[in-house]
Amino acid sequence: MVLVDIRETKSVKAADVFLQVRPGKDFELITILRAMIKDQPISDAQVAETGVSIEALQDLVARMKAAKFGAMFFGMGLSMTRGKHMNSAALLTLAAEMNAFTKFVAMPMRGHGNVTGADVIMRWQTGYPFGISFNRGYPRYNPGEFSTVDVLVRGDTDCVFVIGADPGATMPQPAIDHLARVPTIVLDPHVTHTSRLAKVHITTAPAGISAPGTAYRMDEIPMPLRPALESSYPTDEEVTRRIKEAIQTKPDWMVEGPQRLETQV
Amino acid sequence: MDLKVIDHATCTFCGCVCDDIQLHADDTRIHKAKGACVLGKAWFLNHTTERHYPAALIDGKEATVEEAIQVAADLLYEADMPLVYGMSNTTCEAQRECVAMADLLGGLLDSHTSL
Repeated sequence: MVLVDIRETKSVKAADVFLQVRPGKDFELITILRAMIKDQPISDAQVAETGVSIEALQDLVARMKAAKFGAMFFGMGLSMTRGKHMNSAALLTLAAEMNAFTKFVAMPMRGHGNVTGADVIMRWQTGYPFGISFNRGYPRYNPGEFSTVDVLVRGDTDCVFVIGADPGATMPQPAIDHLARVPTIVLDPHVTHTSRLAKVHITTAPAGISAPGTAYRMDEIPMPLRPALESSYPTDEEVTRRIKEAIQTKPDWMVEGPQRLETQV
Repeated sequence: MDLKVIDHATCTFCGCVCDDIQLHADDTRIHKAKGACVLGKAWFLNHTTERHYPAALIDGKEATVEEAIQVAADLLYEADMPLVYGMSNTTCEAQRECVAMADLLGGLLDSHTSL
């Protein structure tokens, strides 16, 4: 196992090789690796910039090519530092290019229970995994414009529905300030930080403990939940459906009504 | 007292979603979570069926679920640009309802993934 980080973390103990990359130089490091696997020329100055020695990189490339099945796992250190989704895109490209030599995959490390399921369900229903706007009546995807932190910090939303998350505890302060300014609705098994600054809180049954359903594993395998307890609280599914049905009784927000296909083509 | 045993229970605490947990539970709480890690054990054993929280809160005051649903629907409908956010610690079935609701509202839809 090869670990790449900007500092020695607890995971170093479990790693065979640790490479300490200079903060903010992930994109450069990945781009150099992409060049090296294809024997393209790189300069000493470019390698020096990453904080990793050329010998260590040559060793890494040899290990990657010698592997029968390589897997790259990446986390928020890559996706939330300078370069953001460009860093993730570079790593995914490296994984794709490695398949010219051997089998290789890349997978994001997920923190919360069913966040993979959210990706899968949004992809299935809209074609996009997150950061979606329906404001033209059809789904559009643009992280940075429609992603929550950006929307909140700019103040682009005037009502927030929060389910299975506690942004009031984790988001940057300007985002939390906007959450407190607009009416917020929270569905959660606990009264959370977000609930305290919300207009409406509804207590729901915790998924997997007393609410049945499906959750996706990090590698996109769906798992049935087997709740051990009964809950006197309703499930997220039931409450969300009832809110949706209450909205459906109101006239459609689009003046000309929703677009529908008259005949099946 | 005999405990109900649930084989192949699924843990939704983190993204690993382990499905090889054996739970031993009575009517109010889970007493044992065999095969779960430290995080998973804490997740399963800390939940009970006791009602720690009111059914719903509107402006911090206790309310019924039906009232809260109506207020939520009104607020979301009246908003110019509502945002549906989160969907991590919930089921795929609830996520599907969230997508349908965001579509109906003509609003924004986003998850933890964008963080």
